[in-house]
Amino acid sequence: MNLPYSGLVSARKLEITILIGIIILVFKFIFPITENSFILILNEVLIFCALYFGVLYTSHFTQLKKNEPISLIINIGIFNAVLFFLSALSSSLFEVIPSLEVNVNFIYSAISLIIAYIFMAGVVVVLSAFKELYFIRLKTDTHKSYDAMIVFFILAFFAASLPDSKEDPNFIGLTFFVVSIILISINSFRVSWIAFLTKKQKTQLLIISIILGIIFILNAVSTFENSFIKQLLENFSPGLHSLLRLMMIYGSIYCGIIFFTSLFHLPTAEAFDKKVEEASSLKDLSRLITQVFDFNELADSITNLTTKVSNSDSAWLVTKEPGGLKLSSVSNIGYVDADEITKIFESEGILNQEEFVTFSRKQIRLKIKNDIRLFDFKALAISPLKVHNNTSGFLFAARKQNYGFDEDEKKSIEAFADYAAVALENAKLIEESIEKERLKSELKVAREIQYKILPSTTPNCDNLQVSALFIPAYEVGGDYYDFFRMNEDKLGFVIADVSGKGISSAFIMAEVKGVFETLAKLIDSPKELLVKANNILSESLDKKSFVTAVYGFVDKKKGQLSFARAGHMPVYICRNQKIEKLVPNGIGLGLDYGYSFEQNLKEQTVDLVDNDIIVLYTDGITEAKNIKMEEFGYNRFESIISSENFENVEELKSKIINKISSFTQGNSQHDDITLVLMKWVSNNKPSGVN
Amino acid sequence: MADFNVTTRGVGPVRVIDLKGYLDAHTAPELEQEFNKLIDHNDYKVVVNFDELKYISSAGLGVFMAYVETMRENKGDIKFSNMQDDVFNIFDLLGFPVLYEFFKDEKEAIEKFNQKEKS
Repeated sequence: MNLPYSGLVSARKLEITILIGIIILVFKFIFPITENSFILILNEVLIFCALYFGVLYTSHFTQLKKNEPISLIINIGIFNAVLFFLSALSSSLFEVIPSLEVNVNFIYSAISLIIAYIFMAGVVVVLSAFKELYFIRLKTDTHKSYDAMIVFFILAFFAASLPDSKEDPNFIGLTFFVVSIILISINSFRVSWIAFLTKKQKTQLLIISIILGIIFILNAVSTFENSFIKQLLENFSPGLHSLLRLMMIYGSIYCGIIFFTSLFHLPTAEAFDKKVEEASSLKDLSRLITQVFDFNELADSITNLTTKVSNSDSAWLVTKEPGGLKLSSVSNIGYVDADEITKIFESEGILNQEEFVTFSRKQIRLKIKNDIRLFDFKALAISPLKVHNNTSGFLFAARKQNYGFDEDEKKSIEAFADYAAVALENAKLIEESIEKERLKSELKVAREIQYKILPSTTPNCDNLQVSALFIPAYEVGGDYYDFFRMNEDKLGFVIADVSGKGISSAFIMAEVKGVFETLAKLIDSPKELLVKANNILSESLDKKSFVTAVYGFVDKKKGQLSFARAGHMPVYICRNQKIEKLVPNGIGLGLDYGYSFEQNLKEQTVDLVDNDIIVLYTDGITEAKNIKMEEFGYNRFESIISSENFENVEELKSKIINKISSFTQGNSQHDDITLVLMKWVSNNKPSGVN
Repeated sequence: MADFNVTTRGVGPVRVIDLKGYLDAHTAPELEQEFNKLIDHNDYKVVVNFDELKYISSAGLGVFMAYVETMRENKGDIKFSNMQDDVFNIFDLLGFPVLYEFFKDEKEAIEKFNQKEKS
């Protein structure tokens, strides 16, 4: 039982219609002919009900053709033709039966029933089709005249069974009949839908309305003639015959009006078609702009539609590129020709005005002196592609017929140029955002790689607590730190800062890592190692770049720190909440590749005391800036380190992070921040002994 | 954001570059341009006056490194003068004083160039 609701209801209506039809069938066999007015009324009511439900049922089908008036008209025509054929055939085959009361028999009853049913169906279809035609493009809610017409149809239906004779005509029936015709005439003028048909459809309609009108008139006339059919139907139901007559008159009038309306609409049909096409082209284009991201594809549609809408023979689109004008799309013209014409107009300085211009045959002839081929065009329009007062290109439309562009066509060319401008802008923005997105994702990868280069964990030692931190200012940074387990007793460490920021420094940082990692395995002495590193880096560092570094190791057996400083920030040793800054001589890696570097590099060794904290950092910490562009500075940094006896270096680290982040709140990070903390805790040696 | 200004004036055969404001990765190209101009005019004796420079980043330092070789190869040099303490501290930590000459006053630096000329 998955029938849709409307389907279910229409099936129900069909059932009712068929049921009433069967009742009528039985009824008619019992009372083939009657003079009894009560039975007559019952007969009329039954037939009215059958017609009513029939119309309700067929409305479901006619409603589907709401937007195809021509098809509705053709449907009416088919049924009408059947009725015409039937009445013409039967009238020629059978004579009017003189006295029905005497001559009625079973065969006659059967035939009359079949014919009557066919006529009923015809009336039903025609009525519901007319109803649908009436409501096409109805812009107001009031349809009083239509309702009134239906009411008078019903009245005329029932009044038809009133007695009628030469001496005492059925005046009531006649009155209703005449009023119905007046209302039909009024309602027949609702044919505004004709205006919205295409020229082809209007021509079709014109022909159909002639044929259909003739059939309707013939049918209507035949209802007045004393024929076999008339006798049959009037005997079957006077109301049905009356209604049929009304329908035929309705059809005749309506077809007449359709004929004249479509006739008068024909001359303007072409202009109307063009407007409709223009509107739908603009709609297509605006849909394309939001859906198609490829500008070239869009440009093709724009030039195509431009030729159609502006009645041009050719159209082409040029865009302004850094290198000059570029032909993006052509429609119905060769690339070379379009390019040549564009260049001629460009060299004439016409394109510099960035305004909509049109040229007549003479003007084109003047511009294009050299090339005979291009004389083909007798009218030309150039519209700039403007977005925010910025001209991004030009749309050309050219015509071979010798008449200029009228206002409408100029407007539509301009409209298409505007669309093209927006599309071009969109395409550019999308391209940029895709590029941006790509770079972003690549930077993300770079960032991940960089974090892998840095040690993922800090080394665990019995008597050396180690903690480290790296926060790049951008996606990637130029700071580097690392630890090397040189042997059982010695833990090597390095902190380095590559000059500059971002990607360029990140590449050097990766190289620095390679150099230190290799050298740490080979060389023990910090000085020797840095001299070697300087030599290696001289081959890859450019003139502008340098690297500052501190390399050293903690000898756990001796409780000693040995290091050398290559231009880097001082090494702090915090002992009893007092900071000692160690700044042995040494110049940055890459500043000098000669003797000066080695000569000026001093190695320093410090005997560590229990609870000494070694602090290594990069200038990202001291140069961190707040909103007022003040630096975090040495003093703030040092006061945190010496503020208390830190049990754990992690504690110190988080305190430093908190202080810096609250200081720099509201300002973006300018430089990479790196911090390495080591605390000497020789638990196995009682303090004071050494 | 941070403003930076660079101007060059001639004192005899020596060019003096006055730096003002913040010299960092964004403003370094301006200074590079200035050095390129000097080289185009075959001016290799340069004194950089740091009197009004508030901040220098590693990218700013790199500019001097990039051009000093060219200057020295052409019998010239880049000398620094009038540096404020915090700016000098940055140069000092990096070891620049080993490789470059620093003067308290611009005149001393110019004098040094002129002495060399005579000898």
